[in-house]
Amino acid sequence: MKNFTRFLLLSLLTANASAESILIKNVDIYSGSETLPSSHIYIADGLIKALGDAVPETADRVIDGSGKSISPGLFNAETHLGAVEVSAIRQTVDFYTDNADVTASLKVADAFNPNSTLLPHNRIHGLTHALSVPESNSGLFAGQVALIELGKQPRVVNDSVAVAMDFSEYGVSLVGNSRAAAMAVLRQNLADAIDFSANKTAAMAGQRRDYSLSLADLQALEPIVKGTQPLIVKVHRASDISNILSLADKYAIKLILSGVMEGWMVANDIASANVPVIMDPIYNLPQSYESLGARLDNAKLLNDAGVTLIFTGMSSSQSTHNAYLVRQSAGNAVANGLDKNSAIAAMTSNPATLFNANVSGDIKVGAIANLVLWGGDPLEMTSEAELVIINGEQIPMASRSLQLRDRYFKVAP
Amino acid sequence: MRSLSVNAALLATAVLLAGCDNTGTTIGEPILPNKNPFPSTYQVPVSSALVIQGGNLLTGNNQQLENTDLVVENGIITAIGSNLQVPQGATVIDATGKWVTPGLIDVHSHMGVYPAPETSNHSDGNEMTSPVTPQVWAEHSVWPEDPHFEKALAGGVTTVQILPGSGNLIGGRGVTLKNIPSLTVQGMKFPDAPYSLKMACGENPKRVYGNRDMLPSTRMGNMAGYRGAWIEAAAYKKSWDDYVADINAGDDVDPPIRDLRLETLMGVLDGEIRIHNHCYKVDEMAQMIDMSKEFGYEIAAFHHAVEGYKAAPMLAAENICGVMWADWWGFKQEAFDMVRENIALVDYANACAIIHSDDPIQVQRMNQEVAKAMSAGRRMGLDISRAKAIGWATLNPAISLGLEDRIGSLESGKNADIVLWSADPLSVYSLAEKVWIDGALRFDRNDPSVQPTSDFNLGILHAEESRP
Repeated sequence: MKNFTRFLLLSLLTANASAESILIKNVDIYSGSETLPSSHIYIADGLIKALGDAVPETADRVIDGSGKSISPGLFNAETHLGAVEVSAIRQTVDFYTDNADVTASLKVADAFNPNSTLLPHNRIHGLTHALSVPESNSGLFAGQVALIELGKQPRVVNDSVAVAMDFSEYGVSLVGNSRAAAMAVLRQNLADAIDFSANKTAAMAGQRRDYSLSLADLQALEPIVKGTQPLIVKVHRASDISNILSLADKYAIKLILSGVMEGWMVANDIASANVPVIMDPIYNLPQSYESLGARLDNAKLLNDAGVTLIFTGMSSSQSTHNAYLVRQSAGNAVANGLDKNSAIAAMTSNPATLFNANVSGDIKVGAIANLVLWGGDPLEMTSEAELVIINGEQIPMASRSLQLRDRYFKVAP
Repeated sequence: MRSLSVNAALLATAVLLAGCDNTGTTIGEPILPNKNPFPSTYQVPVSSALVIQGGNLLTGNNQQLENTDLVVENGIITAIGSNLQVPQGATVIDATGKWVTPGLIDVHSHMGVYPAPETSNHSDGNEMTSPVTPQVWAEHSVWPEDPHFEKALAGGVTTVQILPGSGNLIGGRGVTLKNIPSLTVQGMKFPDAPYSLKMACGENPKRVYGNRDMLPSTRMGNMAGYRGAWIEAAAYKKSWDDYVADINAGDDVDPPIRDLRLETLMGVLDGEIRIHNHCYKVDEMAQMIDMSKEFGYEIAAFHHAVEGYKAAPMLAAENICGVMWADWWGFKQEAFDMVRENIALVDYANACAIIHSDDPIQVQRMNQEVAKAMSAGRRMGLDISRAKAIGWATLNPAISLGLEDRIGSLESGKNADIVLWSADPLSVYSLAEKVWIDGALRFDRNDPSVQPTSDFNLGILHAEESRP
């Protein structure tokens, strides 16, 4: 491609010296809870050391942040990162199993591939953390959700932050194709988990009744029925959401809802149950009969009702490969009525807090630096990530995709 | 005047039963198939003249005109400039501080053929019963009440090409529609738009038929499948050419028996039907180009051209459009080599670069997809203006459809397909406020009476309301 030899690459802000102190001046800071327009931030030793007028005069590196912005690192709460490379190549897909005997005991973390090309691709565009979520394939329970960090050495921060379950039409189809049957199966599963938990020694010795799930699955559900770990339930139809809320209340389950395309129809019930929701605000189509109520201001209406929002993004088959596009979904939520700070919190501080991440998801003095410098407004698609610091460390701006680009578009000598 | 070769103009004259030459002697005329048996019934609505004043225009043909007026009369743009005279009775829109673009065009849509809800009763986009099905026409599967259409309209999309899916080597005819509410697909059909033919390279056809232990199960099987079809088509075309020649020579001969499969392929060989080819990879594109030369037809566009940046000089030299996503990748091996700069690099090589959706979510925000592609190109140092970038969703798609004389840019004499945006259309916060098609207001964000809603939506959530 010899024609492609014209331009010099922009001198991108390059990473390396994590010890180097950085002062960014006159930059709009979106902290995850509030906006500090044209402020200053000082980062040293991997920490946010000062904000605003308290910053020192200079640093190892000083960046003029005019027209730019800073947000906490992005957190996408529903991906399969580290558990898929090419979706159509089954051998590279580990977030669901064809083994019907493994449901709640499936741990995505066991399959996590830190060398996946998806991780550098996403982190250079500002994604610092994600949940890697299993999918159901034989029963309602999908498995255990991992919290991952996309730093220079990508890693599992917590191999089980929640158990994922599917009560969407798809999940229902796996256990008999009737919502009523699925609810019966679910009650039996929970009753068995409670029995197992109360009689573990006997159960392990095979001295209890036949269970509806394997002992390993019941073991994985123990923290769910004890209320010590959240259960993430994918569900869309308003009446299904209500039924899951009732069930969680009855069994004292720590519930997180996911999907909730008709969430706005029961927003007050979700809010009064104090249940957070993981959702993609981009959905507005009646793609199935369970999502007839999908609408672009779902996020705004849920937020107005007082529901804690946790975002995933651009789920049209790209929520993993382009998980960083969670900010595009967030931007669309703002275009449809959600306030900007709430939108940013839904992909930074809210999930970091809820899942007890190793970073706060906030920009505050004393916090570990986990942030992105954007070329403009943090939600605009015309803003690029210029500097990404993950858990105190700058990451190199490199990826397979950039290597391909540069192979076919050679820098002039 | 008689010609021994079948020319396009002659064929376009539909059914001719008999005629007289200028000597008055009655002679035979060839009996040719009707090329337009499902004609468009679309009529440009009567609407008052329209003046959009003081907007910031991205014209689609690489111009940005600030604080500029635009005048529409009888559905056509008649003037663009400053302080233009307002025709009598015109509707005047104050666009101060707002932006104006041509209606967006999506050349890769399955709306109507894969409508919402995605249930099997309406899953009509892929006739996967044989790898070569040029006899099927997407328009016969379009459900005009698909609730996707109205959402695309609210995103500023005024023209869509509806294509069959990519399960087959040759999937069938595509159709170009105006994005308006209609009881029938004929009411949406873009009058006199050329037909297209969907072909597919790569993984999909060989997977679908390989799983059934039939050809194609390999990429070489794919090529054999297309070539076999073109050989049949060439023979079929010759039978019609011979027939017309015989009639014109005064012989009394019967026409060949019609074959719907080969009739479409003959339309391609005659240059009347445009090839829109699903093809991700540069090596396969090169083979498709060689094959087009082997059989003497042209390729309008390669769709899902994830490797467009590798093929860019070839696309430019062969005058083939690259139709691309801004950033989709990784769902198949053939979509693994994605670069976000793809569209910008194809454009930089002076090839025709197009954004497409292939998706009912993405079609609602093609402006944002343009923004991402422009931003990626700028980040690597390419100088791409908004005026240039918007052409990826307007004039360039029009070129690939053969409709660049009518749509795709804000120019005098063109159809008044216009979007008024609340802000810079490349901003994530920008919304289409008003959308006109042929000068008629079809969507108004601030007026519920100009927000079309499908029959499907009525009373489906609450008896007394429509779904939003």
